[in-house]
Amino acid sequence: MKRLDDLSRAALRIPPSYIVLLVLLVTLWMMRPNLMNVAILGTFARQVVPLGIVVLGQLLVISSRSIDLSAGGVILFVNYLISSGLLYEWPILFVVLLCLSVGLSVGLLNGLLVGKRRASAVIVTLAVNIILIGLVEYLANGKPPGDVPDQFRQLYNLRFGTLPAPVIFWFVLAGVMSGFLGRTVFGRFVWSIGSNPISAHFSGVPVERTVVLAHTISGLMSAVAALVQTSSIAVGSVRFGPELVMNSIAATILGGVVFGRPAQVWGPFVGVLCFALLFVVMTTMGVQEPGKLIAQGLIILLAAIFYGVRSKSNS
Amino acid sequence: MTVQPLVQMTSISKTFGGIAALENVDFQLLPGSVHALMGENGAGKSTLMKILAGVIQPDGGMIRKNGQIVRFVSPREALDAGVSTVFQEHSLLPNLSIAENMYLGKEPVTKFGVTDTAWMERKAKEILSELGLKLDPATLVGNLSIAERQFVEIARGISARADVVILDEPTAALNAADVEVLNAQILALTKQQKAVVYISHRMEEIFKICDTITVLKDGRNVDCVPVSAIRPKQLIAMMVGRELSELFPPRSNRTEGEVVLSIEGLRLTPDATPSSIMLRRGEIVALAGLEGQGQRELVRSLVGQYTPHGGKVAVRGREFAFPLSGELGIREMQALGLGFVPEDRKLEGLFLDLSLAHNLTIGLHSRHFELKPASAHREVIANSMKSLSIKASRPSLPVNALSGGNQQKVLLGRYLALGADILIIEEPTRGVDVGAKAEIYKLLRDYANAGGSVVVLSRETLELIGLCDRLYVIHDKHVVTEMPAESATEHAILEAALHS
Repeated sequence: MKRLDDLSRAALRIPPSYIVLLVLLVTLWMMRPNLMNVAILGTFARQVVPLGIVVLGQLLVISSRSIDLSAGGVILFVNYLISSGLLYEWPILFVVLLCLSVGLSVGLLNGLLVGKRRASAVIVTLAVNIILIGLVEYLANGKPPGDVPDQFRQLYNLRFGTLPAPVIFWFVLAGVMSGFLGRTVFGRFVWSIGSNPISAHFSGVPVERTVVLAHTISGLMSAVAALVQTSSIAVGSVRFGPELVMNSIAATILGGVVFGRPAQVWGPFVGVLCFALLFVVMTTMGVQEPGKLIAQGLIILLAAIFYGVRSKSNS
Repeated sequence: MTVQPLVQMTSISKTFGGIAALENVDFQLLPGSVHALMGENGAGKSTLMKILAGVIQPDGGMIRKNGQIVRFVSPREALDAGVSTVFQEHSLLPNLSIAENMYLGKEPVTKFGVTDTAWMERKAKEILSELGLKLDPATLVGNLSIAERQFVEIARGISARADVVILDEPTAALNAADVEVLNAQILALTKQQKAVVYISHRMEEIFKICDTITVLKDGRNVDCVPVSAIRPKQLIAMMVGRELSELFPPRSNRTEGEVVLSIEGLRLTPDATPSSIMLRRGEIVALAGLEGQGQRELVRSLVGQYTPHGGKVAVRGREFAFPLSGELGIREMQALGLGFVPEDRKLEGLFLDLSLAHNLTIGLHSRHFELKPASAHREVIANSMKSLSIKASRPSLPVNALSGGNQQKVLLGRYLALGADILIIEEPTRGVDVGAKAEIYKLLRDYANAGGSVVVLSRETLELIGLCDRLYVIHDKHVVTEMPAESATEHAILEAALHS
């Protein structure tokens, strides 16, 4: 009886994303065994790299009991900076640094408002998101966006062996984040706040500062994601699917990171891979864009339900 | 002459997750009596009463009410059968009026099918005045004081024509005047040949108002005796299974150490009398008195968790003016070597789902800058587990897998690992079994002997008397008097509090 309890509890600790990925892999293998090779799967994985990078920030924020809904706005703003033509003359490294600092500042602003001013994270980051979107529309002033410098495109299409460079970049970044969380004092702070913010406070954890830092890193990750996204489409765009932010939350939750669990990187990482594989499976099944949207929505719903179940079993 | 018992519980057993909470417990309640149910935390008092109140169902045994075998599957059924309960956790709805609460679920309707508010309020007023209460039944419960809420709960039981009233720690939140009102109500109930079950840790109360005592220990009956036949000392021995004095380590003959903490002119409320307190090196000092008189606010002021109105504090020579700031309070004090151990270890102290190791070392981590590598502190963990004798198979175990006593030791260990010289501890042994209590007392005494200083508050006055060197009696938001613990008694403390 007790052992069964322990087993079921252990089973509940496995990130659901691992199971979903396994199911999807088996499905694909049965339907199209010829698709099961590194080059093809790598190309599919490349599509979700921006999402994957946003998730690296999102998981930090969510496990610090906050949330970041501003990634879409940051991506749009960075995309505008690169494609508007204003910075065509500038050295590419400088452009990249500028973009990263934009993300950093937005994240810092979010963090200060949420952590120090104790404003609602949902409202703050949503408002910041809307402001950024409005800002881009104002700056663009109705002009169609221009092209993205070639170097970005070239980097994006680079492959090492059969693996696309963005996928490797994402993997390395996830590794860095995992090490950062597991090895630094900051990681302990995040775990503590995720588990119990009041206890964290009484233990001397600088709760506000940790939340601010988590948001700042999340903003930075959004900017990195924006660079990859912009490289992938090679043109400016005035719209990015709002589903990116929702997907990032869903992947994080599917990855087993919910309020009150130690933040882990690989669960959400696999969660993002699930999204990639889902698109493959649906494409091979001939599902069109609307169908994919519905499937995405269902995953987010699933994640929400799962979150509810887990919070209950937690108490 | 035999009186038929109002309630007769026979061979009641209940198991939670493989652990027996009650084993063949008998309990009998006679009409017109005030029956104290005594026992350590975890002895099974609350479980037994929850069974009687229909909150939980027994695994075995039988309940007779007025001679009839009954089986309550819900609190509502128990209430309908005449068993009313006032639990520690309040069950009134704050956004409804007193009358609405009293008639919740059985609202009278007028002939038009609408709730008959006027009738409800009239009846409620009658019952309230029977209890000697001058409350307007239309008042929202949310606007009442804790004491008034408790009275309303009792009134609700009476409105349901209950003849058995269970009071679980009724005086925990009451001040002396309210306790008097409550006692008068209990007396009125017994005059009507109703029976009251009284659960309390306060000896004085038990001996003042109860007539019979049933003692439980580890889920079994120890004895059932009339109050007149027993003295407090014997009763404690019955509850803990040994003499209380054995629990406490001997005080050491110290020389007066230097003052490490002094509070001067602290005013907890704008018009409270200013209080001054000092703590010497190597001594354990208690803040005693009735509950809710300001002890908690006083210590929380020290770490910026309460905003007092003026005064100053000196910690090892560094002076601060009250009030201190929020987040800085805890961190600044920790840096100065003052550790604050919060009362509610589950809600404020521990990270229940995180490992023992994390819980022990988080204090050490929080001294460092975020980007520093987190060291494993293996030695600290091993030493703490050994010196505190924390019983756990491995440090990676989540703390919610540990017993209450071990959890409390982990919490203490966190602040000891910080090398704190001053510990402020709220409720050092709440929800901890007797064995662990004795261990914690010894730990604290050893800590003081090694040069540490401790301020303790506790609901259990006997604990404070046994553990500490010196007591400050707090009443009405200020320090009333100071006394050496050696010569202090519960009676003297109460006396000092009430006749200040």
